[in-house]
Amino acid sequence: MMRSIHIRNPAATTARLACVVLVYSNLAVAADTPRKITPLPKSQASHPAAVELGKMLFFDQRLSGDARVSCATCHDPAKGWADGAPLSAGYPGTRYFRNTPTVLNAARADFFHWDGRLGGDDLPTLVRDSINDSHFLSADGRIILERMKQVPEYVELFRKAELGEPSLTAITRAIAAFVASLNSTNVPFDKFLKGDQSAISLQAKQGFTVFSTKANCIQCHDGSYLSDQRAHNLGLPENPQVFIDPLRAITFRSQLKSVGTPNYMNLRKDPGRFAVTKDYRDFGKFITPTLREISRTAPYMHNGMLSTLESVVEFYDRGGGRDRANRSKLLKPLGLSDVEKTAMVEFLKTLSGDPIVIRIEQKDLPKYRAIDDWFRKKN
Amino acid sequence: MVVVLSLFAISACEDPVVPAPRTVKREAPRHVPQKKIDKRELRKGTSEYATGYSAVTVPMKELWKTLGVAHPFWSDYRTIDGEKFPELGPLAPPIIPDDNDQKVDDANWPRADDPRVVLGKHLFFDPRLSGDGTVSCATCHDPKQGWALNTAISRGYPGTTHWRNSQTVINTAYLWKLNWDGSDKSLETQAKAAAMGLSGNGKADMMEERLRQCPDYVRMFKDAYGSNVPLIEDAWRAIAAFVRTLNQPFTPYDRHKFGDPDAYNDQQERGRLLFRGKASCVKCHNGAMFTDGKFYNLGVPQHESFRDDPLRQITMRFEYFSKGVSEELYRKGKYDLGLYFMTKREDDIGKFRTPPLRYLKYTAPYMHNGVFETLEEVIEFYNDGGGEDWAKAFGIATKSKRMKPLNLNDQEQKDLIAFLATLSGDEILMEPPELPKYE
Repeated sequence: MMRSIHIRNPAATTARLACVVLVYSNLAVAADTPRKITPLPKSQASHPAAVELGKMLFFDQRLSGDARVSCATCHDPAKGWADGAPLSAGYPGTRYFRNTPTVLNAARADFFHWDGRLGGDDLPTLVRDSINDSHFLSADGRIILERMKQVPEYVELFRKAELGEPSLTAITRAIAAFVASLNSTNVPFDKFLKGDQSAISLQAKQGFTVFSTKANCIQCHDGSYLSDQRAHNLGLPENPQVFIDPLRAITFRSQLKSVGTPNYMNLRKDPGRFAVTKDYRDFGKFITPTLREISRTAPYMHNGMLSTLESVVEFYDRGGGRDRANRSKLLKPLGLSDVEKTAMVEFLKTLSGDPIVIRIEQKDLPKYRAIDDWFRKKN
Repeated sequence: MVVVLSLFAISACEDPVVPAPRTVKREAPRHVPQKKIDKRELRKGTSEYATGYSAVTVPMKELWKTLGVAHPFWSDYRTIDGEKFPELGPLAPPIIPDDNDQKVDDANWPRADDPRVVLGKHLFFDPRLSGDGTVSCATCHDPKQGWALNTAISRGYPGTTHWRNSQTVINTAYLWKLNWDGSDKSLETQAKAAAMGLSGNGKADMMEERLRQCPDYVRMFKDAYGSNVPLIEDAWRAIAAFVRTLNQPFTPYDRHKFGDPDAYNDQQERGRLLFRGKASCVKCHNGAMFTDGKFYNLGVPQHESFRDDPLRQITMRFEYFSKGVSEELYRKGKYDLGLYFMTKREDDIGKFRTPPLRYLKYTAPYMHNGVFETLEEVIEFYNDGGGEDWAKAFGIATKSKRMKPLNLNDQEQKDLIAFLATLSGDEILMEPPELPKYE
């Protein structure tokens, strides 16, 4: 009897069993626990000098190849840190083929970009990619670091922020520190969650109930970021501009080619997550976006095809888009009444905090200065 | 026998003593030999072909060689101070590389109606082959400015500046080391490097898709390279094919070389003798392209704009950074180190490739950083024995030993300039073609 069991190290076996039990019980908990929305946790404080520097760099057009666009060109603070257009503008000479997401609360995202091509735990990499990408800022990191070095005020700020002398890494870290500091504050719904019943209207509360029960939006929009951080296909119609506008069609193919998407020349649908995973089950899927600050970031969806919150609610009420190929099974006609729809829109509006409006004009940024005694001074 | 002797006389056109009789017609294609050319020989600049012996003289010379006796004035080389230098010569048709073939006419000159050339011409003028769609090849190689720029330093991509003088593309088909530091070995790689580097900031994927968006380009690439969709590498090939048609073989110098006695006046002839003699220009500016393709430090002064132009200072440091020098050197990086950036050998500091002198009339200012506005300044610079050897700041003296005061008087300097003017023919102008549209 003892021989058949072969227990050599009872302690280790128990530990292994415990692990297995723990894993399964966790899964069970995850499946059973009702999804819920939590307030935004307090963000980690970055180096204040880095945030200050990152703020200036965010608006500085010298970070782009031809010094004509900055991060703020598409992430305009006055438009909810997005650009208010269905499709993003992109670098001069190009036009992008997806909607600009807001950068507010971006530090909470698990994935960046609609197709989730970058991991959310590394904000500086997102910044670096955006600086380098031919359709965003299209700059050579080596030349922009030398540009920064030509601005004495920046050199001083980099030093103060403990980032050393200007380098591409330092630039991306500074901007990432600034972006990480952009979090919603005074969000009415968060106050409500913390117990302040008067923070949102009765209608919004009803909307929240519809949101989390009948409409079951919460199955994907949950947690503090109001996103399950997964990819889904909603069957949205394509934005025809992507294929009618030559510049957008060019960028569409160019981006898909650069990530090695199969058959990119013939695609007439945005492949979304498929371009990242190369798994056909992911075709047309996009990462669930956050709902925070949503009232300021119209138009909606990855291609900006829905212009108002009302139209978004209407879209889900119908049970998603008509394109049924690969469409998520979670989408069903909801049968919402007009009252419920209006209430839901009211609820969504309570997810926006105080407006964060910063504007720095190019002329207010520190200027290039020639280095005195150039031929003798050390760099 | 008389006929043979007179042919000898034609071929001896480099010798100042023998007058060239008027027996050779001015139409130059006549001089093109039909025999197969050894390309390696040509690159060395030593073949009869490159040194400019005519179709008539080549067989004569071969014949002479069989005798095994040295000819009194018939040589591939000019000997100065015991050193041999390739002779000057007229231009023969350029070499067409095997991997980018193009049509040539009966006399072996590249034809302008080749589909690759037609495509290349469009691409040369198309600003969509750059990052933000504002810079074409013609931006810095403007036909109206000698297919170069008439500023000291080239302009570079918007938001930045270049750091060296833009060189003409005329006759570059003959060069086997392109750019001031010889960083490109073919027109194909040069076109690519310019469109994707400091000047163009283009990204291959984006530029390729832009071409594919134009049905006219799709058709032209299909005609030229047989591909179903435009491939960006073919775009560089097409531009190179186009540039290979931009030659100027029939300058007054070439006419003189073929024996036209009216081609030169007395002053130009005196200048020619100075060039090959007292001024010893031919030591470096030799062969049919007036360049030996080697690298020298002349002590050319730094361009003053680097002192007070922030954009130039940015570019200078960028070049140090991106070319991978040591950190120690990067901290000191103020001077254009030329060939050093390619070889990382200290004794190459400050060396630049001898530029060709053809089409010189239209390509002012001169030198790698355009410090000299006029040819007069250039001649004066050489007459003084060059400039100060600033490579000494890096602990090494690299200035060429050939740079010595020449003791040319004013008249001689003028004669030399008069000769240099004969290396350029009429200005080559071209209207930009109508570019294909997106659809």
